[in-house]
Amino acid sequence: MAINVNTVYQTVLLILNKEQRGYMTPLEFNKIGTQTQLEIFETYFESLNQQIRIPQTNVDYADRVLNLDEKISIFKTSGIPTYTAPSFSLPSESGLAQSTETIPTVAGTVAYTFSSITANELSSGTVQVFFDGVLQPTTAYSITGTIITLTVSPVAGTPPAPNTPASVFVVVTLDDFYRLGTVTYQSGALDAQELERVTRSELYHLLSSKLTKPTTHYPIYLYENKRLLVYPTTITNGITVDYIRKPADPLWNFTLGTSNQYVYSPNTSINFELHDAEQTELILKILLYAGVVVKSPEIIQVAAQQVAQENQNQKS
Amino acid sequence: MPIPNGGLITETNRQYYAGDQQFTVPATAVNQSFTSTFDTDLIVGTGSYWDPGSLGYNVNNVKVFTSVNAQVWTELTPVSTDFSVTLNAAANGNQPVVGIVANANVVGGNIYALINATSGLVYGTIVTSVNNGGVDTLTLNQNLAAIGIVAGTLLSVRRIITWQMLTPNIITISESLNINTYVKIQLTESAREDNFGSYEYTRLKDVIDNFLIAYVGAGKLIPSVKRTDVIFHARRGLQEFSYDTLKSIKSSELTIPPSLSLTIPQDYVNYVRLSYVDNLGVLHIIYPTNNLNQSPYYTFAQDDLGNPIQDSSESNAEVTSQTNATWNSNNPRQISGGYVNNLNNANAVFDQSVYSGALGQRYGMDPQTSQTNGWFKIDERKGTFSFTSNLANKLILLQYISDGNAYDLDARIPKLAEDALYSHIAHAILATSANTQEYIVQRYKKERSAKLRNAKIRLSNIKLDQIIQVMRGKSKWLKF
Repeated sequence: MAINVNTVYQTVLLILNKEQRGYMTPLEFNKIGTQTQLEIFETYFESLNQQIRIPQTNVDYADRVLNLDEKISIFKTSGIPTYTAPSFSLPSESGLAQSTETIPTVAGTVAYTFSSITANELSSGTVQVFFDGVLQPTTAYSITGTIITLTVSPVAGTPPAPNTPASVFVVVTLDDFYRLGTVTYQSGALDAQELERVTRSELYHLLSSKLTKPTTHYPIYLYENKRLLVYPTTITNGITVDYIRKPADPLWNFTLGTSNQYVYSPNTSINFELHDAEQTELILKILLYAGVVVKSPEIIQVAAQQVAQENQNQKS
Repeated sequence: MPIPNGGLITETNRQYYAGDQQFTVPATAVNQSFTSTFDTDLIVGTGSYWDPGSLGYNVNNVKVFTSVNAQVWTELTPVSTDFSVTLNAAANGNQPVVGIVANANVVGGNIYALINATSGLVYGTIVTSVNNGGVDTLTLNQNLAAIGIVAGTLLSVRRIITWQMLTPNIITISESLNINTYVKIQLTESAREDNFGSYEYTRLKDVIDNFLIAYVGAGKLIPSVKRTDVIFHARRGLQEFSYDTLKSIKSSELTIPPSLSLTIPQDYVNYVRLSYVDNLGVLHIIYPTNNLNQSPYYTFAQDDLGNPIQDSSESNAEVTSQTNATWNSNNPRQISGGYVNNLNNANAVFDQSVYSGALGQRYGMDPQTSQTNGWFKIDERKGTFSFTSNLANKLILLQYISDGNAYDLDARIPKLAEDALYSHIAHAILATSANTQEYIVQRYKKERSAKLRNAKIRLSNIKLDQIIQVMRGKSKWLKF
């Protein structure tokens, strides 16, 4: 369930090009697409807060809270935090958001430049490098910026890896932790217990009150600097974190055609992860930004009106 | 229905009545795990808790048994795993190597210990076992004593760890179990008794969880609340209910020592009744002294002017209480008027001649002192009950109330009062929340009050046939 990036791009181009208003390059589209996706994604949580305070109907498909939850559910995931005394570090990546690139090697050449994986992704994500499908230790390569340098120079001849890789396949798992949700604790065959989030000012009172002192039945945690301090401190494992991950950045990737035109490359492109119901709003918002890019006030005005109308319908 | 089938009962008949849970071993393997599904959480001690010879074993509320036929069970202890091995030749002292006749079951890795089969002496744990033809050379974790092991000594090998509970309620058995043999987890007798009758109660943890599910959430009167608030109000509610609504179930059988004092129980909040037990086992109420006597809180030493004297630490020095000494030495019959032995004291009115003349006409008798059971008082300073001398060496029953929060097992509420506790929590939260309309607070206040009254009536255990029986004794017949 995702919105096809090519469908969105072609629709945007179609509307933009009508009456020869202008053109949006893939690079511009990818950046505006990322911005728009995050903008829509962020509105979910504010909208949920608004809707949850309004009585809802229980007629199928008409409950706005449920509809919003369905949109958010795409990004719900869970992970196991790592304990390093005295606290747990959050799971930084769900493994769902990945950038990949295959680089053919040339005999005698050790340095190669990534074309689709960005320097930001390489620096913030977890990189795995495969030579002919075999995962390599970090000693087999080094990465600086967007350049990967192999430790051993490829030589001509028939693979196998690792010393003579025919191709290098790189997977970057992105740091996509967005919002912390429920934290649970389970030990052995006991029922899972939800941890309650408290602030530091509450903590000292809770710890000193015999009635409310945290126990393994009712554990609590502090959330500070992306780390979880769990009480009672005897809990050092068994913690699971449910969280919302960020959507992966959309990518309309291409190859150059015979006339140097952009040819859509579906296998290396990344679709919008938003719910299908967002396609209209997504296109309108991209158009709104596109109007700024091509300096067309008409586009901006029409798109803004449409977006406002849609928002009004969703929330009234 | 012997098998739990989705209702509130989650234990099988066997788990509840016999306190054991039986497993059929699914495969022949080592380190197999068996998950307990008792309502009672398994508890183990520290150290070598699987060994009856360790202190930790006494803390366990569980024992583990194995059987090949589910008929004859053997408790899984280190001793039960002993098997004989034959010493190959005498082993020298002050060194860790022992040779035994080759035995495939003996392996290294500190899994087994080498034992003197006759005396039970542990020579050490087997670190390595190297086969040299017909002989296994064992290297122990420590040197043998100077005497070594003399030829002909009977040896056995014992598994060091038989079972463990590495994570709560999951028992892992380290030895290889054969497929289709049986394992049994058996609760100790006290753990089983603690569980008996538990269906009468709902655990406080369940009350808190149920409250958060049913009373808190979007669209409800309590849209959100911190769980710690619910825990606080639930525990406070249980305390309040314990004082005047719930049944008093705490009681302690004690013998009054010659000092006539007993320490107040650790979880004591207030007494319900103190009674001594006569030869028939019948209880006789011991009454409080009330205005007859009271233990002083301070017993200052005084100077000639009546001022307290200070000691070397600049605190008031204290002396032995004369009030207590006098009270302890009295004859309670002189207070109750049971008989007179001194015409010069205040009980002269009970002089035999007067008493005989006024037989049956003791006008002005004070009922609270006219009893022979004895009195007790509470010394708040020392934290003791003190009794009159006629109760020395007598067996008494102290019935008292606690607050329901002293021990984990206490943290439960009778189902007959469960709804009242929900209302208590709801009212407490609404009453302390900002922006709650007063009419809602009042509504919940009334609801709490009504449900608490219902709970009191239910827990009063009024049974019509018992009332009828009592009234028959009063010659007042009731038709029903």
